[in-house]
Amino acid sequence: MPSARYRESGILRLYRHCLALYPSEFRDEYAHELCLTFADRWREERSPRVWLEGMSGILQEAPKEHLHVILKDLRYALRILRKDTTVTLAALAILALGIGATTLVFSLANGLLLRPLPYADPGRIVAVGEYSPTDPNEYGQISFLNFRDYQARARLVENVGIYSGYSVILRGDGGAETVSAEAISDGVLRSLGVAPTLGRIFTREDTAPNAARVVILSEELWTRRYSRDPQIAGRSIEVDSAKRTVIGVMPANLQFPSNTQLWLADRSDPAKSARTDYYMRAIARLKPGVTVEQAASEWESILEQIHRENQATNNNWKALVTPLRTFEAQDYRKQVIALLVAVALLLAIACANVSNLLVVKASARGREMAVRMAMGASRTRLVRQLASESVLLGLAGGVLGTGLAYVGLPALLSLIPVDLPRWMKFSLDGRVLLFSLAVSLATSLAFGLVPAFGSSVVDLSSSLKEGGRAGSGGGRHKLLRGGLVVGEVALSVILLAGAGLTVRSFLALRAQNLGYNPDHVLSMDVGYPDQRYPDGPKAHEMLRRLTADISSLPGVTSAAFTTGVPLGQDRWSRIYAIEGRPRALKDMPWTNHVVVVPGYFPTLGIPLDEGRDFTEADYDNPHVLVVTRAFARINWPGESAVGKHVRFGPPANNEAWFTIVGVAADNRHDVLKGHGRPVVYRPYSADITPSSLLVRTSGDPAKMVSAIRVRMRAFDPDIALDHVITLPQLIEQASWQDRFLAILFLAFAVLALTLAAVGLYAALSYTVSLHSREIGIRMALGASSASVQGMLLRQGMALAVAGLAIGLAGALAMTRLLESQLYTISPSDPITYAVTPLVLLAVATLAVLVPARRATRVDPAIVLRSE
Amino acid sequence: MRTFSLSRDTFHILVSLAECDRHGYSILQEIAERTDGAVRLSPSTLYSAIKRLLEEGLIEELEERPDPQHDDERRRYYRLTPNGKKAALEEARQLEKLLADARATGLAPKRI
Repeated sequence: MPSARYRESGILRLYRHCLALYPSEFRDEYAHELCLTFADRWREERSPRVWLEGMSGILQEAPKEHLHVILKDLRYALRILRKDTTVTLAALAILALGIGATTLVFSLANGLLLRPLPYADPGRIVAVGEYSPTDPNEYGQISFLNFRDYQARARLVENVGIYSGYSVILRGDGGAETVSAEAISDGVLRSLGVAPTLGRIFTREDTAPNAARVVILSEELWTRRYSRDPQIAGRSIEVDSAKRTVIGVMPANLQFPSNTQLWLADRSDPAKSARTDYYMRAIARLKPGVTVEQAASEWESILEQIHRENQATNNNWKALVTPLRTFEAQDYRKQVIALLVAVALLLAIACANVSNLLVVKASARGREMAVRMAMGASRTRLVRQLASESVLLGLAGGVLGTGLAYVGLPALLSLIPVDLPRWMKFSLDGRVLLFSLAVSLATSLAFGLVPAFGSSVVDLSSSLKEGGRAGSGGGRHKLLRGGLVVGEVALSVILLAGAGLTVRSFLALRAQNLGYNPDHVLSMDVGYPDQRYPDGPKAHEMLRRLTADISSLPGVTSAAFTTGVPLGQDRWSRIYAIEGRPRALKDMPWTNHVVVVPGYFPTLGIPLDEGRDFTEADYDNPHVLVVTRAFARINWPGESAVGKHVRFGPPANNEAWFTIVGVAADNRHDVLKGHGRPVVYRPYSADITPSSLLVRTSGDPAKMVSAIRVRMRAFDPDIALDHVITLPQLIEQASWQDRFLAILFLAFAVLALTLAAVGLYAALSYTVSLHSREIGIRMALGASSASVQGMLLRQGMALAVAGLAIGLAGALAMTRLLESQLYTISPSDPITYAVTPLVLLAVATLAVLVPARRATRVDPAIVLRSE
Repeated sequence: MRTFSLSRDTFHILVSLAECDRHGYSILQEIAERTDGAVRLSPSTLYSAIKRLLEEGLIEELEERPDPQHDDERRRYYRLTPNGKKAALEEARQLEKLLADARATGLAPKRI
């Protein structure tokens, strides 16, 4: 029976539709045959078995055919890429740099912002605190009494806990040692949901003011100091001269809140606490189904209630509830985002650069494409072919880039001079690798699609006619190439401006007048046994003798004790009032509050502008103050502050009045950057024994450390020295984020500029090679090499200038992002915006000059002969 | 020389083309008849195999239609190439050798 006459039954139509699962090439070639054969089979048997057989055949074979096509494309792509080694290697290098830098920055973002905290169900853990609506420095703490009320009244959260950091001294079991400790209430470890390795965690009873003193050890301390003693629970150890019982050991992954080695049960006594004391922080766990916003509004209404009930201590502070993750990372968030934006720009430049290489290659391949189309290859086929080339290139670049990031990460982290909290883990984890893969694929699309679509739109006849010089690719390619180069230049201008601003800001930060001379100054915390030297005559005697002992060391110029080292850990600040100007608690301003031993100002080199320095005689009459110039200016503008009276604490406390006896120069005490608070200095007294020591040396202060240790041990072997650090190192630590940002921006800008220069160079070289015939003719007709060079220079520089103009506009818009990171430098800093174009134009001129000069060395005879 | 790389389906196709040139459906029929219906290729399996065989040069497509029973000029006919013959022969030898080995080891009976 003639099969041409088979009836188009519904079944057959369905079969034909299912063939759509095949790749188009296969379909074009075999769909008809498949239908005919299937129809024959159907007529032969007309059973569901035939239908099943046909369908399962399609489902089995169609994916194989797709794979086959993809593999074929990739094999072909590999061959093409290997044929043009220079272009391939250049593209790979550029992609590896771009993807590597992006992966690197993303691994920072991952560690700081994305990776979940290592606690149970971490999304439900929130930081709870208060903040001053008027003073941005007061953010996130909670007063102990407010915490107690919140704990009792909150319904939407559970396990509210407070914590505050200390340094404690361990003695016994091997020498005095300072370790970082945290006083926590029972809610903290419960909120975190981490079970102890050994023993138990704190209960509410452990936090009663009269409860037995108990501690929990970190795995690290347990291992290091107590050799992982399995019987440690129940053992008594000496912490800050008092016996405390170890009740448990926490696992290594618990580092809360930072690199804590020991947790004490917080036994604060509500009866002895002031509602306006802020040195604690709090966390809580949201009850299931409760949102952060709901918890925040509950806390806000509880806090308002507290303020209504306690009018005398109403400071008008506001409630704060944020996910713990956000709270902990807040110091880094803006920098990380700025870096992500910067590296995205760099990646875009890399894409544009590779795109340009491929456009050039694609236009040179115009003839190949035309031939393949003439032989029947479809447009989709060609686009897919080019796409597989770029995907292959992108993936290879991604692998290399990830390798670079792997190597570069330790180097990058070595730029960080501080101990970051250990929850910040930076590694190429699954998320980073996935990101890197996604970036590689996205990059492949970005750099691959432009040339792919560009070159598949081939005008057959013209490409074939153009013959060997099919390369010109016509106006479309030229425009595309020009556009890409302009884009690259523009993006690199933005990065250059960003680098200029961050570097200038960092230099300004480090060159600023600190108000003291940090060179040759060493600082350290001196942990003396409290019981042997209680505040009063014994402590007084100890400080005097120690100061004299250390000062008499050869190489030491002077030494002084203080409660606050400039830019150090201690942040003691107080609210104050001026005599004759009563203020409500909520309107009272804050000042840094430092207690010092006479000799502090000369040791730091802080000049006294007015009045007198402290003397030993002030120890017994300690109600005197030296204030900074800023403190005087704020409170008595245009007037002398000497002789004025100041009182600390809330009005209800009725503390004693202090008389100002001297005015010191302004200095960077609390922060290196931004608005620091003014400072008041008080002399030490029987009430307060400062424990940080500043030592000025004539030579390298680091070399004096061991001599100081020996002298201290000779004085009392139970004294522990800790946080031994020079002031320049402290400044380094205080400015590392700025340095980090500046270094990365500079690195990105240099890379970006190099890529843009390579782009310009390549574009012009290519133009020269395309027009070598024209240049040859012109020169044969008598054009001078200067005029030919001029023409090419104009062409190249036109691209650079267009990119520069767009880039400057973009930079002005985008560098606003950096505003909060900059120190005294405006985002539209005139020097940066004057130097950026100069650098760009200088580099662009070089990149353009080389090919332009080469063009005119062409021998017209050779060029014309080769035609 | 290729060794044992023909799939069973492919080998069947080569065998069915050894006798005479055929179009797709005729190949399917011949295989089914020869194996008493034990081997039934789906059209999809058949044409995927045909595509590979064409690419590898083991079969070729004919310009003319040698089978007058089917006079649809759109049908394509296939023929074994000398290379295809060689490959099929080699495959048959390998199978023979395998069978001999199986007999020698006592896995298969000496006479079927």
